[in-house]
Amino acid sequence: MSGSLETVALAGNPNAGKTTIFNALTGSNQQVGNYAGVTVERKSGEFFTPHGKKLRLVDLPGCYSLDGGSPDQQIARKVLLGELEGEERPDLVVSVVDGSALERHLQLTLEVIETGLPVVVALNMVDVAESTGIRIDVQKLSEELGVPVVPMQANAGKGLLDLKQAMRHPFPVPAKADWTPEERQKRVLRICETAARRRDSYSATLTDRVDAVLLHPIFGWGFFLAIMFCLFWTIFAIADIPIGWIEGGTEVVAEWVSAKMPEGDLRSLIVDGVVNGIGGGVLVFLPQIVMLFFLIGLLESSGYMARAAYLMDGIMAKFRLSGRSFLPVLSSFACAIPGVMATRTIDSPKERLATIFVAPWMSCSARIPVYLTLVPLLFTDMTSVQKTLIFIGIYLTGLITALIVARLLRGRMGEDKVPNHFLLELPPYRAPQWGYIFRHVLGRAGAFLKNAGTIILAICIILWALSTYPKTDSEDPAEVLAHSAMGRISHVVEPLVKPLGFDGRTGTAILTSFAAREVFVTSMTQLFHVEESEDEDETLTNLQNTLSAATWPNGDKMFTLPALLALLVFYIYALQCLPTSAVVAREAGSWKWAAGQFLFMSGFAWVAAFIVFQVTKLFL
Amino acid sequence: MALATAQDLESDSLLSLSQAKVGCDFQIKLLKGPACDQLRKLGFCESLQVRKLADGRNLICSVCGTRLALSRELASQVMVAVA
Repeated sequence: MSGSLETVALAGNPNAGKTTIFNALTGSNQQVGNYAGVTVERKSGEFFTPHGKKLRLVDLPGCYSLDGGSPDQQIARKVLLGELEGEERPDLVVSVVDGSALERHLQLTLEVIETGLPVVVALNMVDVAESTGIRIDVQKLSEELGVPVVPMQANAGKGLLDLKQAMRHPFPVPAKADWTPEERQKRVLRICETAARRRDSYSATLTDRVDAVLLHPIFGWGFFLAIMFCLFWTIFAIADIPIGWIEGGTEVVAEWVSAKMPEGDLRSLIVDGVVNGIGGGVLVFLPQIVMLFFLIGLLESSGYMARAAYLMDGIMAKFRLSGRSFLPVLSSFACAIPGVMATRTIDSPKERLATIFVAPWMSCSARIPVYLTLVPLLFTDMTSVQKTLIFIGIYLTGLITALIVARLLRGRMGEDKVPNHFLLELPPYRAPQWGYIFRHVLGRAGAFLKNAGTIILAICIILWALSTYPKTDSEDPAEVLAHSAMGRISHVVEPLVKPLGFDGRTGTAILTSFAAREVFVTSMTQLFHVEESEDEDETLTNLQNTLSAATWPNGDKMFTLPALLALLVFYIYALQCLPTSAVVAREAGSWKWAAGQFLFMSGFAWVAAFIVFQVTKLFL
Repeated sequence: MALATAQDLESDSLLSLSQAKVGCDFQIKLLKGPACDQLRKLGFCESLQVRKLADGRNLICSVCGTRLALSRELASQVMVAVA
């Protein structure tokens, strides 16, 4: 993997500036991957020293200590000791420490020195240290630690060249660790006493003053709700514009391909299966995902996300989760995949599993087209306020059920072997790091396209094949469909979905959505033989008209209010996303967990839809 | 035994960070409880200065210029004296 390149590992506490240094050193020349068999993301890249020597840089997960039990700490320790399969032991470690919090960050540096590897200390945020009145004697610090120390201000690019110089050949000799693990803390305090004098008096910083408002027991909640409202409003209001462009672009491409190719199965496959699959089933969700992650990145980078987790801890605790579960839950409103991946920061393994289990119940952006199709059918002539209220109700139904199930699940799981207490670092408020945010958004969008996109595209092609073959001589589209594999499947499915108020065609559309919900609208359009228009909105209106006119063989209306409500409830609860199941299996470390989640959520959705249909039928 | 008695006496005269008053500066004197190691790794070490910034279910304090939010249960294991 690393070839003959020598490897430099970046180690440090969270918020020490490791990622900034990593990005500054490697630029765009980096790769993101996962350590095989474990759950922590790995970043590696390459860079040149001033002497033209190419080195490989590995960014280790941020951790406070090497001897802890969390996945992050285990990975860092295993890499530094050369015990991780597929990763060579580094030749040099750059220990990144925050100059303004040396007493806390040097502990890890001493642990790194104890591994016997050559170490260079990147003394970051010296500007912050100076502004808070800390006087650091770099020379003395270097002598005390026995390793080179490079003062830096990584976010302004200061000290990078010096750091590269310190990594030149030959690497520094490993420092002698003449202390025992028990003496480590005293050693740190002694080093700080001689090399870094802190001003005794405490003066309130800007962050303290801002926190006094944003974390206020009453006003803090007002700001929190306002920020969350703006976040969701922006996503829904602004994302519509690029979604329109993508839909327009898809139409142009589909028309262009149709004009260039002779009529036949191949053209149908490319236009209906591939182009519409990519454009209408995958790319159309990208704007909302990109926007949500941009805004989450903005909140994280500015330091607010940790405050949101602090505020939410009290509410989450009522459901036996902690504030740390808030970010995964929020991310899941865009897409459950990054939401499940964001649970890595949760210390408690049981809380992590419970959060992974309920994260897919947040209404992700893939459900929106389903809701947009069904909600207008529920009540005709709805005002925008009514529509908004129904949407809020849908979102809250998913969220509240998820929290209740999380509570029940945590109750059954019992307590953790090692008690996990709420402990969170609240970083100072900073101007957003745009480079970091854009990389974060690009990474998330890329992961969505790669993970979800490939599966959705495959489903679209399979759907096309199922509704096209086997062929019949008949010219009547309804007969063609009835003769096709899809038409036959719908007969098999019907008994299962009839108690919920649906016929075999809707049942087939639900069945196809089990791979990815995005294909529901496409399936319904094909199964109900709706005339597809060049304009997506017109197609949706055609579908809605067809559905409201659809009847059972005895002439009864098919999409009655109870049936529509049952269908909505089914889509709120069912886990219809194969990429999510794959990610859950990886993150939970077991396919059994993913299969259990899939079966539970599908069963729950069926029972909930059954109850809704049967009960509302009595009253409506 | 003598050392243990001296330590007990000392801890009796201290107050825990969860009992401490908001806005005051303290010096960490002793960590007492099952989460000691976890606290030390996060910077709650004997002799360091700490300022309590907010109280509640989870309290906020500043240690070595870093703001940390921690549960009352953890805070009750940090014994401090007025600086």
